[in-house]
Amino acid sequence: MAERREYYQNEDDEVEEDEEDSGGDYKISGRDSLVFLVDASKEMFIKGEDGEPSNFDMTMQCVRSVYTSKIISSDKDLVALVFYGTEQSKNPRNSFKHVYVYHDLDSPGSQCILDIDKLLGEKGAQFAEKTMGSGETSLGDALWCCSNLYSDIKLRLSHKRLMIFTCRDEHHGGDGAKDRQARTKAADLKETGVVIDLMHLTKPGGFDVSLFFCDIVSPPEDESELGLQIEPCRKLEDLQKRVRAKELKKRSQSRLTFSLGEGVNLAVGVYVLARTATKPSAVKLHRDTNEPVRTKTRYFHAHNGGILLPNDMKRAQVYGKKQIVMEKDEVDEIKKFDDPGLVLMGFKPMDRLKLHHHIRPALFIYPEEEQISGSSCMFTALLLNCSEKNLFALCRYIPRRNTPPRFVALVPQREELDQSQTQATPPGFHVIFLPFADDIRTVDAHVGPTASDEQVDKMKEIVHKLRFKYKSDAFENPVLQQHYRNLEALALNMLEPEPIEDLTMPKVQMMDARLGPLAQEFKDLVYPPDYNPEGKPAAKRKTAESGGGAAEKKAKVEMSEEELKNHVAKCTLGKLTVPVLKDACKQFGIRTTGTKKQELIDALTMHLSK
Amino acid sequence: DVRPGALVLCMDVGFSMSNSEPGQEPSFEQAKKVIQKFVQRQVFAENKDEVGLVLFGTDGTKNGLAEDGQYENITVHRRLMMPDFELLEEIESKLQPGGQQADWLDALVVCMDLLQEETMGKKFERLNIVLLTDLNVQTSADQLDVIIDSLKKARITLQFFLPFPVDGEDRADGGGDGPGPSAAPVRPGKGLSRQQTQGLEMVKNIMTSLEEEDGLEEVYTFSDALQKLSIFKRIDRRPMAWPCHLTIGSSLTIRIVGYKAVTEEKVKKSWAIVEAQSHQRDDVKRETVYCLDDDNETEVQKDDTIQGFRYGSDIVPFSKVDEDQMKYKSDGKCFSVLGFTKQELVRCSPFMGSQVVKVFAARDDEHAAVALSALIRALDSLKMAAIVRYAYDRRSNPQVGAAFPCIKEKYECLLYVQLPFMEDLRQFTFPVLENNKKFKPSESQLSAVDALIDSMMLVEKDEDGESVDVFKVNHIPNPQFQRLFQCLHHRGVNPDDPLPPVEPWLKRDLERPQAVSARCQTPLQDVKTKFPLKVVVKKKEQKTSADVFGNQEHAFTLTSIPCEVSHFNRRSLFQVGSVNPVRDFCTLIRQKTVSFDQACQQLTHRIEQLLGNRSPEYYMKSIACIQAFRDQGAFLTGIFRSSGICSSKVKNRPSAHVELKTSCLQHALLFSDALTLISKDEVDGSTFSKQDANQVLTAFYSLQLTSFKKFV
Repeated sequence: MAERREYYQNEDDEVEEDEEDSGGDYKISGRDSLVFLVDASKEMFIKGEDGEPSNFDMTMQCVRSVYTSKIISSDKDLVALVFYGTEQSKNPRNSFKHVYVYHDLDSPGSQCILDIDKLLGEKGAQFAEKTMGSGETSLGDALWCCSNLYSDIKLRLSHKRLMIFTCRDEHHGGDGAKDRQARTKAADLKETGVVIDLMHLTKPGGFDVSLFFCDIVSPPEDESELGLQIEPCRKLEDLQKRVRAKELKKRSQSRLTFSLGEGVNLAVGVYVLARTATKPSAVKLHRDTNEPVRTKTRYFHAHNGGILLPNDMKRAQVYGKKQIVMEKDEVDEIKKFDDPGLVLMGFKPMDRLKLHHHIRPALFIYPEEEQISGSSCMFTALLLNCSEKNLFALCRYIPRRNTPPRFVALVPQREELDQSQTQATPPGFHVIFLPFADDIRTVDAHVGPTASDEQVDKMKEIVHKLRFKYKSDAFENPVLQQHYRNLEALALNMLEPEPIEDLTMPKVQMMDARLGPLAQEFKDLVYPPDYNPEGKPAAKRKTAESGGGAAEKKAKVEMSEEELKNHVAKCTLGKLTVPVLKDACKQFGIRTTGTKKQELIDALTMHLSK
Repeated sequence: DVRPGALVLCMDVGFSMSNSEPGQEPSFEQAKKVIQKFVQRQVFAENKDEVGLVLFGTDGTKNGLAEDGQYENITVHRRLMMPDFELLEEIESKLQPGGQQADWLDALVVCMDLLQEETMGKKFERLNIVLLTDLNVQTSADQLDVIIDSLKKARITLQFFLPFPVDGEDRADGGGDGPGPSAAPVRPGKGLSRQQTQGLEMVKNIMTSLEEEDGLEEVYTFSDALQKLSIFKRIDRRPMAWPCHLTIGSSLTIRIVGYKAVTEEKVKKSWAIVEAQSHQRDDVKRETVYCLDDDNETEVQKDDTIQGFRYGSDIVPFSKVDEDQMKYKSDGKCFSVLGFTKQELVRCSPFMGSQVVKVFAARDDEHAAVALSALIRALDSLKMAAIVRYAYDRRSNPQVGAAFPCIKEKYECLLYVQLPFMEDLRQFTFPVLENNKKFKPSESQLSAVDALIDSMMLVEKDEDGESVDVFKVNHIPNPQFQRLFQCLHHRGVNPDDPLPPVEPWLKRDLERPQAVSARCQTPLQDVKTKFPLKVVVKKKEQKTSADVFGNQEHAFTLTSIPCEVSHFNRRSLFQVGSVNPVRDFCTLIRQKTVSFDQACQQLTHRIEQLLGNRSPEYYMKSIACIQAFRDQGAFLTGIFRSSGICSSKVKNRPSAHVELKTSCLQHALLFSDALTLISKDEVDGSTFSKQDANQVLTAFYSLQLTSFKKFV
């Protein structure tokens, strides 16, 4: 792929695939940072019933998964892991007691993962006991220490988040001064732009947020009461989901005006909720020093060797021996139809949206009140109405300057919460790209015989045996996973990479076991004994060229009643051959007086239209 | 090795084609445009199909069959060839109305003869004849059966383009995905001549005998063709067949074939770089060099580089060989069922990838057809979908996707769409909307939007109560191609002209339908009054030089320069300190505790001091100082002049610039617009001419460029 990119080839594609990172937004706004502040008190290490992992163990698993996903998806982000309520202390100036900075704020690397692995499971608990221990708690000191971590960072931080993991709703055993100090420090942090979240875990007797933590955490974004009513996390998945939902700062790909016409404009942010994660491109290194090497591309004149500036070059394409030359600006201008934005065309019922009209992953829009005030209200009204009437909005979409338009369907989605009161689907419109005429290819359908009810029923049994509940995050990308395992092995000098579990491979044995004799039964119903679907196709039976030929082949296969009825309804029985019609009559036990085609047709029509 | 098609465009140029109703374009012009656009598309899409052009109704006669007064006034203008620019130019200049009439059936025979002759010994995937005529000529039908027969034998397909629709009914389009003809504007039978009525019958006769009931779908009107060039699709490239096995468990296998049914069509040709004067590609050489990220940008030979990958904060050296050896290996193409699930569960998930694949049973394998049919029907009746592992071939990455059942009147298939991997998903949480009191729309607002939606429905009921979609996106050709071809064509023919504007019809295609626009006026006004929408004025926009210089009141972007005394300590100042020299300087000038002269001297001193330290913070501070100087300078031009201090102060500035070159330069970027020398235009007393200022600026810009490269 990389080679093909030369010579400005696929320039458009690149631009289109680049997302928020390219907008310059990312570079200017700095890096995201996340501090895990984990309670290391004795309570955290108590095992759950029935061998459930302790809260501490669960937290560590969760932290690990965030670390690995950060390495894969956003390796520039900074992460820190800090324990409080420890016996030992370890922090930059060792000015705080009972605060143990396990990882300072930094972009996570392979070593960090290894460090966390040490804290997992039964052994992890012992290791934690040995290195840190459990001691007194002062959340105030812990928060203060965290704020120092932030201020020690020289890089510009765009988004600062701190997550507190604890199962104790009351920290200082009634020590008002300590409570006060914690509150003050939390307020200080919040003032510097740090968002504090509470990831509270199960506690016998229930976790009462209002006792203490309600004053510590940041108010929820939307000022509704929802934020604090959340149940504590019981399961690892819940915790992971909740952490994951907060861990990434949602950043819009772009902000656009959404014009309803006649100057009625609202502002929306465009978000990418799903984007194909690809293996990052390789970095060139100097062989001797392993220093990263940059590439510089220069253009120079072939004859005089002078460096060519952008102005000294033009763009050209050759068609039918004729070279057509344009300025770079003109090449861009050709793609310009209008200013960026969404323009409403009208509305259509949802059933007009075809499942198979898919050309690109969808985007998501949400109102931007900071750009045009009143957007949210207008947006909500549209959302409610569209969803009530089961409609989608058809819009013309131009994502950025000098980009040709595409039509998109805005599909309404109302907010839904899952059992643990976490947002399962956010409110907003999905932006579904619609194909133009050019994007739809003419496919010659293969027309063949169809299955009988009996055959379909057998397949239904098979389907039933192999049913499962699909979840969109159930499959990991084996290519990516393998790549990172390889890197991990190389980085950590392991002998060989840890094997991955390829979830995309069918679990053949399990499937066979579940199916039992069904597979054979189905094959007996549809395949003749000598048929081998895996072999080369049998020599084509030579039949008439088309149309009639296909019908003749059906002679071998019994027609389903439904199919025949179809023919009756459409008066197309005449298209079938006499043998097929005869077979059909036999199948239904119809006595025929003659064997002429019309007679057979009449008899079948009589029988089937009853 | 896709074998191209062969196509003959057969156009009526007879005199009746030039007739037209008042206010309407003559058929000749319309037909010419159709041909022009078609050929344009063929040329620029670099379609390999060969195209011939036959004209009938011409004054002269030139064809291989002309003999004894037969096949007269029919001209083979161009034999089969790949369409090129020349053909485009010829159509533009040489395609003129003729003064004769010729039998269109005769013309058809000439075309068939041409096709047969030219394709002799070569194998073409498709043979097609496109007839553009108004049918307004006496035709002898006695040979019709023979003609139809030989068309069938030679497997030649036909398309007709007429000025009027073949019948008034709007046929529902076939499978819902292929574009079909749209509703015709004129009813047939009205105002048609006897010959036309008769001709139309013959057209129907031919088309139905060629393609049975679908034949009439290949008869179009000129206006249809102009609006929707996509109807030329049938001569477009066919998707490649992808034969594979669908497997369920280890023992159940069905032979299948997949086709890309929907995928984003991209512009195929890229732009080459040519030298601006010579327009020669070879005059431009491209060179890529590798260099270390140090101050000297030390160059490194390509052979001395190895590849590595980022793993979080680490970069792991990982050679190409190792990578290939250790990477994930897929065991070839597959379409393996992992399990079955409810369709609704899959529909909630985002679809990934850029295509939809239609999966059929292997061609001519009736057993596979039955087996696949059983699966399709089972899934359809259970409202379930198959989750499959899909790999195109050994080299490609495996995907997980869903196969949905699709049962159409004429065929059945599975529709495969890629689903996301866990790594692809980003779970964002958005603030509540509908239960948020701040944003909750009122009843009247909701009903205003409700009325707006009703007025803007793009699906309408026709006389028969059938819903008709008035804005089918999948019938609109991608305007990007049309525009590109238009510009290329224009530039090819007129190399020195500026690019033409977007064609009006193309723009119109992208607009809201007029009827809808008209209908929604009132509801839209209502919405406008009921919803207060106000653009929020940003307080902190990125500054341009105009902002900075045009408005002296503005504070500096990063280091604010408070100009109002009340903002800070009113305690009298006597000296420009080092902590906040700008503020001190401003205060001194306002408070007049020291002379302006002295204040300036003190600030200059501070700038020199600051530049002595080579750290970005100090650097920024000094920039701010210079800025303050300039602001106050322009503001207090009068004082500058009278005190005569200006020149000495400004003279200090070039030295500052020299210093800047050596200090950390990355920040210069942010200030590029803000920092120029005070030129004569701004301050009368300045000894710097505009040229001087510009000179320094140019040097500055080039510095920024290098520093930019270095730091970004």
